[in-house]
Amino acid sequence: MIEFSNVSKIYKDTTAIDRLTLNLPERGIYCLLGRNGAGKTTLMKLAAGHIAANEGGIAVDGQKVSTGRMPESVNYIESGSAQFNMRASALIDAAAELQGDFDRGFAREMVKRFELNTRKKYKQLSFGMKTMLTTILTLASNAKVILLDEPTLGFDAIMRDQFNTLLLESYQARPRLIVVSTHLIDEIAKVIERLIIIDNGRVLTQAGIGEIDEKAYTLSGSASVIEPLLGGLNCIGKTTAGSVMAAHIYDKRITPPGGVSIGRLSLQDFFINLVGGKSNG
Amino acid sequence: MGKSLVAAKLNLRNIGAAYLITAVTVGCMMVQDIVFLILKMFDINPNGPENATISFGNYFFLLLVFSAIFIPSRNFHKMMNLGGKRADFFKGCAINHAIMAAAISLISIILYHTADKFMISALYGGGTLDVVYWFGWIGNGSVVAFFQQFAFLLLLAVVIHTLTAAQGKWYGWAADIVIVAVIAVFIPIPALRPVLIWFFNMVIFHQYAAVQISFCLLLACAVYALNRPIFARKAI
Repeated sequence: MIEFSNVSKIYKDTTAIDRLTLNLPERGIYCLLGRNGAGKTTLMKLAAGHIAANEGGIAVDGQKVSTGRMPESVNYIESGSAQFNMRASALIDAAAELQGDFDRGFAREMVKRFELNTRKKYKQLSFGMKTMLTTILTLASNAKVILLDEPTLGFDAIMRDQFNTLLLESYQARPRLIVVSTHLIDEIAKVIERLIIIDNGRVLTQAGIGEIDEKAYTLSGSASVIEPLLGGLNCIGKTTAGSVMAAHIYDKRITPPGGVSIGRLSLQDFFINLVGGKSNG
Repeated sequence: MGKSLVAAKLNLRNIGAAYLITAVTVGCMMVQDIVFLILKMFDINPNGPENATISFGNYFFLLLVFSAIFIPSRNFHKMMNLGGKRADFFKGCAINHAIMAAAISLISIILYHTADKFMISALYGGGTLDVVYWFGWIGNGSVVAFFQQFAFLLLLAVVIHTLTAAQGKWYGWAADIVIVAVIAVFIPIPALRPVLIWFFNMVIFHQYAAVQISFCLLLACAVYALNRPIFARKAI
Protein backbone atom coordinates (compact mmCIF):
# COMPACT_ATOMS: atom_id res chain seq x y z
CA MET A 1 0.00 0.00 0.00
CA ILE A 2 2.88 2.39 0.75
CA GLU A 3 6.05 2.17 -1.30
CA PHE A 4 9.15 4.30 -0.97
CA SER A 5 11.77 3.65 -3.65
CA ASN A 6 15.18 5.17 -3.05
CA VAL A 7 13.64 8.36 -1.64
CA SER A 8 15.74 11.29 -0.42
CA LYS A 9 14.59 14.51 1.20
CA ILE A 10 17.11 17.23 1.85
CA TYR A 11 16.39 20.43 3.81
CA LYS A 12 19.12 22.91 2.86
CA ASP A 13 22.19 21.16 4.31
CA THR A 14 20.37 18.44 6.28
CA THR A 15 19.51 15.08 4.78
CA ALA A 16 16.29 14.07 6.53
CA ILE A 17 15.62 11.00 4.39
CA ASP A 18 18.56 9.30 2.76
CA ARG A 19 17.88 6.98 -0.23
CA LEU A 20 15.20 5.20 1.79
CA THR A 21 13.41 2.17 0.42
CA LEU A 22 10.44 0.87 2.34
CA ASN A 23 7.47 -1.26 1.43
CA LEU A 24 4.38 -1.59 3.61
CA PRO A 25 2.26 -3.88 1.47
CA GLU A 26 -0.45 -4.99 3.87
CA ARG A 27 -2.99 -3.64 6.28
CA GLY A 28 -1.90 -3.63 9.90
CA ILE A 29 -0.73 -1.39 12.71
CA TYR A 30 2.90 -0.39 12.20
CA CYS A 31 5.02 1.49 14.69
CA LEU A 32 7.55 3.93 13.31
CA LEU A 33 10.36 4.36 15.77
CA GLY A 34 13.36 6.61 15.67
CA ARG A 35 15.26 9.20 17.64
CA ASN A 36 14.35 12.87 17.39
CA GLY A 37 15.36 14.05 13.93
CA ALA A 38 15.57 10.51 12.56
CA GLY A 39 13.14 11.42 9.78
CA LYS A 40 9.82 10.03 11.09
CA THR A 41 7.71 13.14 10.47
CA THR A 42 9.39 13.76 7.12
CA LEU A 43 8.59 10.18 6.08
CA MET A 44 4.91 10.67 6.96
CA LYS A 45 4.73 14.05 5.25
CA LEU A 46 6.21 12.55 2.09
CA ALA A 47 3.66 9.71 2.10
CA ALA A 48 0.82 12.22 2.54
CA GLY A 49 2.06 14.50 -0.25
CA HIS A 50 2.63 17.36 2.16
CA ILE A 51 6.22 17.82 0.99
CA ALA A 52 8.11 16.82 -2.12
CA ALA A 53 10.99 14.36 -2.25
CA ASN A 54 14.25 15.48 -3.83
CA GLU A 55 14.68 12.11 -5.49
CA GLY A 56 13.05 8.71 -5.66
CA GLY A 57 9.45 7.66 -6.00
CA ILE A 58 6.57 7.29 -3.54
CA ALA A 59 3.35 5.44 -4.25
CA VAL A 60 0.31 4.88 -2.06
CA ASP A 61 -2.32 2.34 -3.04
CA GLY A 62 -0.67 2.14 -6.48
CA GLN A 63 -0.92 5.89 -7.06
CA LYS A 64 2.19 8.04 -7.42
CA VAL A 65 2.38 10.66 -4.67
CA SER A 66 3.56 14.24 -5.06
CA THR A 67 2.64 17.60 -3.54
CA GLY A 68 0.47 18.28 -6.56
CA ARG A 69 -1.19 14.89 -6.21
CA MET A 70 -2.07 14.30 -2.56
CA PRO A 71 -3.41 10.78 -2.16
CA GLU A 72 -7.09 10.65 -1.22
CA SER A 73 -6.44 7.37 0.56
CA VAL A 74 -4.07 8.90 3.14
CA ASN A 75 -4.99 10.90 6.20
CA TYR A 76 -2.14 12.58 8.03
CA ILE A 77 -2.25 15.53 10.40
CA GLU A 78 0.98 16.71 11.92
CA SER A 79 1.03 16.70 15.70
CA GLY A 80 0.99 20.21 17.16
CA SER A 81 0.07 21.71 13.80
CA ALA A 82 -1.72 25.06 13.56
CA GLN A 83 -5.50 24.85 13.54
CA PHE A 84 -8.32 27.33 13.09
CA ASN A 85 -9.20 28.86 16.44
CA MET A 86 -12.69 27.37 16.47
CA ARG A 87 -14.50 25.27 19.04
CA ALA A 88 -13.26 21.69 19.13
CA SER A 89 -16.73 20.50 18.05
CA ALA A 90 -16.65 22.86 15.06
CA LEU A 91 -13.18 21.63 14.09
CA ILE A 92 -14.39 18.03 14.18
CA ASP A 93 -17.40 18.98 12.02
CA ALA A 94 -15.16 20.87 9.58
CA ALA A 95 -12.75 17.92 9.31
CA ALA A 96 -15.69 15.56 8.76
CA GLU A 97 -16.99 17.73 5.91
CA LEU A 98 -13.54 18.32 4.39
CA GLN A 99 -12.48 14.69 4.52
CA GLY A 100 -15.81 13.31 3.40
CA ASP A 101 -15.32 9.75 4.60
CA PHE A 102 -15.25 10.41 8.35
CA ASP A 103 -16.63 8.33 11.20
CA ARG A 104 -18.48 10.87 13.36
CA GLY A 105 -19.65 8.15 15.72
CA PHE A 106 -16.09 7.04 16.44
CA ALA A 107 -15.02 10.69 16.88
CA ARG A 108 -17.84 11.19 19.40
CA GLU A 109 -16.78 8.03 21.24
CA MET A 110 -13.18 9.26 21.45
CA VAL A 111 -14.32 12.67 22.67
CA LYS A 112 -16.40 10.98 25.37
CA ARG A 113 -13.68 8.60 26.54
CA PHE A 114 -10.99 11.28 26.60
CA GLU A 115 -13.39 13.77 28.23
CA LEU A 116 -12.45 16.42 25.70
CA ASN A 117 -14.32 19.68 26.27
CA THR A 118 -15.57 20.36 22.76
CA ARG A 119 -17.00 23.76 23.74
CA LYS A 120 -13.51 25.15 24.20
CA LYS A 121 -11.79 26.93 21.34
CA TYR A 122 -8.58 25.38 20.04
CA LYS A 123 -6.27 27.97 21.63
CA GLN A 124 -7.93 27.40 25.01
CA LEU A 125 -7.10 23.68 25.01
CA SER A 126 -4.10 22.36 26.93
CA PHE A 127 -1.17 20.84 25.04
CA GLY A 128 -2.39 17.30 25.69
CA MET A 129 -5.93 18.19 24.62
CA LYS A 130 -4.63 19.73 21.38
CA THR A 131 -2.76 16.52 20.62
CA MET A 132 -5.90 14.56 21.46
CA LEU A 133 -7.99 16.61 19.06
CA THR A 134 -5.45 16.09 16.27
CA THR A 135 -5.46 12.36 17.03
CA ILE A 136 -9.27 12.25 16.87
CA LEU A 137 -9.31 14.16 13.56
CA THR A 138 -6.86 11.67 12.07
CA LEU A 139 -8.07 8.39 13.53
CA ALA A 140 -11.78 9.00 12.88
CA SER A 141 -11.07 9.21 9.17
CA ASN A 142 -12.08 6.22 7.09
CA ALA A 143 -9.06 6.63 4.79
CA LYS A 144 -7.21 3.44 3.79
CA VAL A 145 -3.96 4.75 5.25
CA ILE A 146 -3.78 6.55 8.59
CA LEU A 147 -0.54 8.22 9.65
CA LEU A 148 -0.42 9.19 13.34
CA ASP A 149 2.49 11.40 14.31
CA GLU A 150 3.19 11.29 18.05
CA PRO A 151 -0.52 10.75 18.81
CA THR A 152 -0.03 10.51 22.59
CA LEU A 153 2.30 13.47 23.10
CA GLY A 154 1.30 15.16 26.36
CA PHE A 155 -1.09 12.34 27.37
CA ASP A 156 -1.02 10.95 30.90
CA ALA A 157 -0.63 7.18 31.46
CA ILE A 158 -4.39 6.54 31.60
CA MET A 159 -5.05 8.48 28.42
CA ARG A 160 -2.24 6.62 26.66
CA ASP A 161 -3.77 3.33 27.70
CA GLN A 162 -7.19 4.45 26.45
CA PHE A 163 -5.64 5.55 23.18
CA ASN A 164 -4.07 2.12 22.67
CA THR A 165 -7.43 0.45 23.30
CA LEU A 166 -9.19 2.83 20.89
CA LEU A 167 -6.51 2.30 18.26
CA LEU A 168 -7.10 -1.43 18.40
CA GLU A 169 -10.89 -0.99 18.36
CA SER A 170 -10.62 1.35 15.40
CA TYR A 171 -8.48 -1.17 13.52
CA GLN A 172 -10.80 -4.07 14.33
CA ALA A 173 -13.80 -2.05 13.14
CA ARG A 174 -12.06 -0.89 9.93
CA PRO A 175 -8.89 -2.85 9.15
CA ARG A 176 -6.47 -0.62 7.23
CA LEU A 177 -2.86 0.48 7.27
CA ILE A 178 -2.09 2.53 10.37
CA VAL A 179 1.40 3.89 11.00
CA VAL A 180 2.02 5.28 14.48
CA SER A 181 5.12 7.27 15.25
CA THR A 182 5.94 7.30 18.95
CA HIS A 183 8.76 7.15 21.46
CA LEU A 184 6.74 5.10 23.95
CA ILE A 185 7.40 1.78 22.28
CA ASP A 186 6.76 -0.59 25.17
CA GLU A 187 3.30 0.90 25.79
CA ILE A 188 2.14 0.54 22.23
CA ALA A 189 3.80 -2.85 21.72
CA LYS A 190 0.64 -4.72 22.73
CA VAL A 191 -1.36 -3.31 19.82
CA ILE A 192 1.16 -3.09 16.97
CA GLU A 193 2.01 -5.83 14.52
CA ARG A 194 5.22 -4.56 12.96
CA LEU A 195 8.02 -2.25 13.94
CA ILE A 196 9.98 0.01 11.61
CA ILE A 197 13.09 1.60 13.07
CA ILE A 198 14.67 4.48 11.20
CA ASP A 199 17.83 6.37 11.96
CA ASN A 200 19.50 9.20 10.04
CA GLY A 201 16.83 8.95 7.36
CA ARG A 202 17.36 5.25 6.68
CA VAL A 203 15.47 2.12 7.68
CA LEU A 204 17.53 0.19 10.21
CA THR A 205 15.12 -2.66 10.60
CA GLN A 206 11.57 -3.67 9.80
CA ALA A 207 10.17 -6.73 11.48
CA GLY A 208 7.10 -8.21 13.12
CA ILE A 209 6.77 -7.90 16.87
CA GLY A 210 6.81 -11.70 17.24
CA GLU A 211 10.01 -11.93 15.23
CA ILE A 212 11.70 -9.29 17.38
CA ASP A 213 10.51 -11.03 20.54
CA GLU A 214 12.07 -14.23 19.25
CA LYS A 215 15.35 -12.81 17.97
CA ALA A 216 16.10 -10.08 20.50
CA TYR A 217 17.55 -11.34 23.79
CA THR A 218 20.28 -10.71 26.32
CA LEU A 219 23.08 -13.06 27.29
CA SER A 220 24.37 -12.42 30.82
CA GLY A 221 27.30 -13.96 32.55
CA SER A 222 31.06 -14.00 32.64
CA ALA A 223 32.63 -11.91 29.90
CA SER A 224 35.22 -14.57 29.21
CA VAL A 225 32.45 -17.09 28.40
CA ILE A 226 30.18 -14.74 26.45
CA GLU A 227 32.84 -13.00 24.35
CA PRO A 228 33.65 -16.09 22.23
CA LEU A 229 29.94 -16.67 21.55
CA LEU A 230 29.50 -13.27 19.94
CA GLY A 231 31.58 -14.06 16.87
CA GLY A 232 28.73 -15.75 15.07
CA LEU A 233 25.93 -13.56 16.42
CA ASN A 234 24.61 -10.11 15.60
CA CYS A 235 25.45 -8.30 18.83
CA ILE A 236 23.66 -4.94 18.90
CA GLY A 237 25.13 -3.80 22.22
CA LYS A 238 26.87 -4.90 25.35
CA THR A 239 27.41 -3.73 28.89
CA THR A 240 30.35 -4.82 31.01
CA ALA A 241 30.93 -4.39 34.73
CA GLY A 242 34.22 -5.92 35.79
CA SER A 243 34.25 -9.50 34.59
CA VAL A 244 30.46 -9.66 34.09
CA MET A 245 28.93 -8.91 30.72
CA ALA A 246 25.43 -8.46 29.31
CA ALA A 247 25.38 -8.83 25.53
CA HIS A 248 22.28 -7.80 23.59
CA ILE A 249 21.68 -9.99 20.57
CA TYR A 250 19.41 -9.69 17.56
CA ASP A 251 19.87 -13.03 15.88
CA LYS A 252 18.82 -16.65 16.02
CA ARG A 253 18.33 -18.13 19.50
CA ILE A 254 21.20 -20.18 20.91
CA THR A 255 21.38 -22.60 23.76
CA PRO A 256 23.58 -20.83 26.28
CA PRO A 257 26.49 -22.70 27.87
CA GLY A 258 26.67 -23.16 31.63
CA GLY A 259 27.10 -19.95 33.59
CA VAL A 260 25.36 -17.85 30.94
CA SER A 261 21.71 -16.92 31.34
CA ILE A 262 19.40 -15.78 28.56
CA GLY A 263 16.89 -13.00 29.18
CA ARG A 264 14.23 -11.09 27.32
CA LEU A 265 15.23 -7.80 25.70
CA SER A 266 12.44 -5.23 25.92
CA LEU A 267 11.52 -3.34 22.75
CA GLN A 268 12.77 -0.13 24.36
CA ASP A 269 16.16 -1.72 25.09
CA PHE A 270 16.22 -3.32 21.66
CA PHE A 271 15.69 0.09 20.10
CA ILE A 272 18.24 1.82 22.35
CA ASN A 273 20.89 -0.78 21.58
CA LEU A 274 20.15 -0.85 17.87
CA VAL A 275 20.22 2.92 17.45
CA GLY A 276 22.26 4.12 20.39
CA GLY A 277 25.57 2.44 19.64
CA LYS A 278 27.32 -0.88 19.86
CA SER A 279 28.80 -0.63 23.30
CA ASN A 280 28.23 1.28 26.48
CA GLY A 281 30.49 -0.67 28.68
CA MET B 1 -17.88 20.83 -5.45
CA GLY B 2 -19.09 19.86 -1.96
CA LYS B 3 -15.66 19.96 -0.33
CA SER B 4 -14.82 23.18 -2.18
CA LEU B 5 -17.90 24.80 -0.65
CA VAL B 6 -16.81 23.54 2.77
CA ALA B 7 -13.38 25.09 2.16
CA ALA B 8 -15.04 28.36 1.09
CA LYS B 9 -17.27 28.35 4.18
CA LEU B 10 -14.27 27.73 6.44
CA ASN B 11 -12.37 30.57 4.79
CA LEU B 12 -15.25 33.02 5.23
CA ARG B 13 -15.47 31.99 8.87
CA ASN B 14 -11.77 32.38 9.52
CA ILE B 15 -10.85 35.83 8.27
CA GLY B 16 -11.65 37.58 11.52
CA ALA B 17 -8.81 40.08 11.11
CA ALA B 18 -10.19 41.23 7.73
CA TYR B 19 -13.68 41.68 9.20
CA LEU B 20 -12.23 43.56 12.17
CA ILE B 21 -10.12 45.97 10.10
CA THR B 22 -13.10 46.76 7.85
CA ALA B 23 -15.50 47.15 10.77
CA VAL B 24 -13.14 49.48 12.64
CA THR B 25 -12.57 51.63 9.52
CA VAL B 26 -16.27 51.84 8.65
CA GLY B 27 -17.09 52.47 12.32
CA CYS B 28 -14.57 55.32 12.59
CA MET B 29 -15.93 56.97 9.44
CA MET B 30 -19.50 56.64 10.72
CA VAL B 31 -18.54 58.19 14.07
CA GLN B 32 -16.89 61.09 12.24
CA ASP B 33 -19.98 61.68 10.10
CA ILE B 34 -22.29 61.45 13.11
CA VAL B 35 -20.15 64.06 14.89
CA PHE B 36 -20.38 66.32 11.84
CA LEU B 37 -24.16 65.85 11.73
CA ILE B 38 -24.50 66.72 15.43
CA LEU B 39 -22.30 69.80 15.03
CA LYS B 40 -24.42 70.88 12.08
CA MET B 41 -27.67 70.20 13.92
CA PHE B 42 -26.62 72.42 16.82
CA ASP B 43 -25.24 75.09 14.51
CA ILE B 44 -21.73 74.68 15.88
CA ASN B 45 -20.41 73.95 12.40
CA PRO B 46 -23.40 74.77 10.19
CA ASN B 47 -21.56 74.32 6.86
CA GLY B 48 -20.29 70.83 7.70
CA PRO B 49 -17.13 69.52 6.04
CA GLU B 50 -16.55 71.32 2.76
CA ASN B 51 -14.50 68.62 1.13
CA ALA B 52 -15.71 65.39 -0.45
CA THR B 53 -15.65 62.04 1.32
CA ILE B 54 -15.04 58.47 0.29
CA SER B 55 -18.24 56.51 -0.24
CA PHE B 56 -19.20 54.14 2.58
CA GLY B 57 -19.48 51.30 0.09
CA ASN B 58 -15.88 51.70 -0.99
CA TYR B 59 -14.60 51.10 2.54
CA PHE B 60 -15.77 47.51 2.10
CA PHE B 61 -13.03 47.12 -0.52
CA LEU B 62 -10.76 46.70 2.51
CA LEU B 63 -12.57 43.45 3.32
CA LEU B 64 -11.87 42.14 -0.17
CA VAL B 65 -8.20 43.16 -0.05
CA PHE B 66 -7.49 41.75 3.40
CA SER B 67 -9.40 38.52 2.82
CA ALA B 68 -7.34 38.01 -0.36
CA ILE B 69 -4.21 38.40 1.80
CA PHE B 70 -5.26 36.35 4.82
CA ILE B 71 -6.85 33.39 3.03
CA PRO B 72 -3.73 32.18 1.20
CA SER B 73 -1.28 33.25 3.90
CA ARG B 74 -3.07 31.98 7.02
CA ASN B 75 -5.81 29.55 6.05
CA PHE B 76 -4.02 27.22 3.63
CA HIS B 77 -1.96 25.32 6.20
CA LYS B 78 -4.83 25.17 8.67
CA MET B 79 -7.16 23.75 6.03
CA MET B 80 -4.59 21.08 5.16
CA ASN B 81 -4.18 20.33 8.88
CA LEU B 82 -7.87 19.39 9.00
CA GLY B 83 -7.30 16.81 6.31
CA GLY B 84 -8.28 19.08 3.40
CA LYS B 85 -6.84 18.70 -0.08
CA ARG B 86 -5.06 21.33 -2.15
CA ALA B 87 -7.54 21.04 -5.03
CA ASP B 88 -10.47 21.78 -2.70
CA PHE B 89 -8.67 24.78 -1.25
CA PHE B 90 -7.95 26.07 -4.78
CA LYS B 91 -11.60 25.82 -5.83
CA GLY B 92 -12.86 27.04 -2.44
CA CYS B 93 -10.81 30.24 -2.65
CA ALA B 94 -12.18 30.96 -6.13
CA ILE B 95 -15.70 30.70 -4.66
CA ASN B 96 -14.65 32.99 -1.77
CA HIS B 97 -13.35 35.72 -4.02
CA ALA B 98 -16.38 35.55 -6.32
CA ILE B 99 -18.77 35.78 -3.33
CA MET B 100 -16.76 38.61 -1.79
CA ALA B 101 -16.56 40.59 -5.06
CA ALA B 102 -20.30 40.15 -5.74
CA ALA B 103 -21.34 41.05 -2.19
CA ILE B 104 -19.11 44.12 -2.00
CA SER B 105 -20.16 45.30 -5.46
CA LEU B 106 -23.81 44.96 -4.45
CA ILE B 107 -23.31 46.70 -1.09
CA SER B 108 -21.34 49.47 -2.75
CA ILE B 109 -24.07 50.16 -5.35
CA ILE B 110 -26.86 50.05 -2.77
CA LEU B 111 -24.94 52.48 -0.56
CA TYR B 112 -24.22 54.71 -3.57
CA HIS B 113 -27.96 55.13 -4.08
CA THR B 114 -28.84 55.46 -0.40
CA ALA B 115 -26.24 56.47 2.20
CA ASP B 116 -24.11 58.44 -0.27
CA LYS B 117 -27.09 60.49 -1.52
CA PHE B 118 -28.09 61.21 2.05
CA MET B 119 -24.54 62.21 3.05
CA ILE B 120 -24.26 64.54 0.05
CA SER B 121 -27.53 66.28 0.88
CA ALA B 122 -26.88 66.38 4.62
CA LEU B 123 -23.14 67.00 4.88
CA TYR B 124 -20.79 66.71 1.98
CA GLY B 125 -21.33 69.48 -0.51
CA GLY B 126 -18.21 68.27 -2.24
CA GLY B 127 -19.90 64.94 -2.98
CA THR B 128 -18.65 61.41 -2.35
CA LEU B 129 -15.76 59.66 -4.02
CA ASP B 130 -17.23 56.43 -5.33
CA VAL B 131 -15.54 54.03 -7.72
CA VAL B 132 -18.75 53.34 -9.67
CA TYR B 133 -19.13 57.07 -10.28
CA TRP B 134 -15.51 58.05 -10.92
CA PHE B 135 -14.86 55.10 -13.22
CA GLY B 136 -18.03 55.97 -15.11
CA TRP B 137 -19.72 52.61 -14.52
CA ILE B 138 -22.90 53.98 -12.96
CA GLY B 139 -23.56 55.79 -16.25
CA ASN B 140 -24.36 52.37 -17.75
CA GLY B 141 -27.11 51.77 -15.18
CA SER B 142 -26.93 50.10 -11.78
CA VAL B 143 -27.14 46.51 -13.03
CA VAL B 144 -24.32 46.90 -15.55
CA ALA B 145 -22.31 48.90 -13.01
CA PHE B 146 -22.70 46.00 -10.56
CA PHE B 147 -21.20 43.57 -13.05
CA GLN B 148 -18.42 46.00 -14.06
CA GLN B 149 -17.47 46.54 -10.46
CA PHE B 150 -17.78 42.81 -9.68
CA ALA B 151 -15.41 41.88 -12.52
CA PHE B 152 -12.90 44.54 -11.46
CA LEU B 153 -13.02 43.52 -7.79
CA LEU B 154 -12.68 39.85 -8.67
CA LEU B 155 -9.56 40.63 -10.70
CA LEU B 156 -8.18 42.72 -7.84
CA ALA B 157 -8.79 39.94 -5.29
CA VAL B 158 -7.27 37.28 -7.52
CA VAL B 159 -4.13 39.33 -8.19
CA ILE B 160 -3.63 40.01 -4.46
CA HIS B 161 -4.31 36.35 -3.61
CA THR B 162 -1.79 35.15 -6.19
CA LEU B 163 0.91 37.62 -5.18
CA THR B 164 0.43 36.69 -1.50
CA ALA B 165 0.56 32.97 -2.27
CA ALA B 166 3.80 33.40 -4.20
CA GLN B 167 5.60 35.43 -1.55
CA GLY B 168 8.59 33.70 -0.01
CA LYS B 169 9.45 32.00 -3.29
CA TRP B 170 11.73 33.34 -5.99
CA TYR B 171 8.85 33.70 -8.45
CA GLY B 172 6.94 35.80 -5.90
CA TRP B 173 9.80 38.24 -5.56
CA ALA B 174 10.25 38.22 -9.34
CA ALA B 175 6.58 39.12 -9.79
CA ASP B 176 6.91 42.01 -7.30
CA ILE B 177 9.96 43.34 -9.13
CA VAL B 178 8.25 43.04 -12.52
CA ILE B 179 5.19 44.97 -11.29
CA VAL B 180 7.31 47.75 -9.78
CA ALA B 181 9.52 47.83 -12.87
CA VAL B 182 6.56 48.04 -15.24
CA ILE B 183 5.08 50.97 -13.33
CA ALA B 184 8.45 52.69 -12.87
CA VAL B 185 9.54 52.24 -16.49
CA PHE B 186 6.27 52.53 -18.40
CA ILE B 187 5.10 55.77 -16.80
CA PRO B 188 8.14 57.99 -17.49
CA ILE B 189 8.82 56.70 -21.02
CA PRO B 190 6.30 58.30 -23.40
CA ALA B 191 6.64 55.49 -25.96
CA LEU B 192 5.60 52.87 -23.40
CA ARG B 193 2.92 54.91 -21.69
CA PRO B 194 0.19 53.90 -24.20
CA VAL B 195 0.62 50.27 -23.10
CA LEU B 196 -0.35 51.17 -19.55
CA ILE B 197 -3.15 53.39 -20.81
CA TRP B 198 -4.44 50.50 -22.95
CA PHE B 199 -4.31 48.14 -19.96
CA PHE B 200 -6.22 50.44 -17.61
CA ASN B 201 -8.67 51.24 -20.39
CA MET B 202 -9.42 47.53 -20.77
CA VAL B 203 -9.65 46.88 -17.03
CA ILE B 204 -11.59 49.99 -16.00
CA PHE B 205 -12.52 52.62 -18.54
CA HIS B 206 -13.50 50.82 -21.72
CA GLN B 207 -16.51 52.42 -23.40
CA TYR B 208 -18.15 49.03 -23.87
CA ALA B 209 -19.02 47.47 -20.53
CA ALA B 210 -19.09 43.97 -22.01
CA VAL B 211 -15.46 44.34 -23.17
CA GLN B 212 -14.31 45.60 -19.77
CA ILE B 213 -16.20 42.81 -17.92
CA SER B 214 -14.96 40.09 -20.27
CA PHE B 215 -11.36 41.32 -20.12
CA CYS B 216 -11.39 41.44 -16.30
CA LEU B 217 -12.95 37.98 -15.98
CA LEU B 218 -10.58 36.39 -18.50
CA LEU B 219 -7.55 38.00 -16.89
CA ALA B 220 -8.78 36.93 -13.43
CA CYS B 221 -9.10 33.32 -14.65
CA ALA B 222 -5.61 33.43 -16.20
CA VAL B 223 -4.03 34.89 -13.06
CA TYR B 224 -5.91 32.49 -10.78
CA ALA B 225 -4.70 29.53 -12.83
CA LEU B 226 -1.17 30.42 -11.70
CA ASN B 227 -2.20 29.37 -8.19
CA ARG B 228 -2.41 25.73 -9.29
CA PRO B 229 1.37 25.24 -9.59
CA ILE B 230 2.04 27.61 -6.69
CA PHE B 231 -0.11 25.62 -4.24
CA ALA B 232 0.91 22.29 -5.75
CA ARG B 233 4.50 23.04 -4.72
CA LYS B 234 3.73 24.58 -1.36
CA ALA B 235 5.03 22.48 1.53
CA ILE B 236 2.66 21.88 4.43
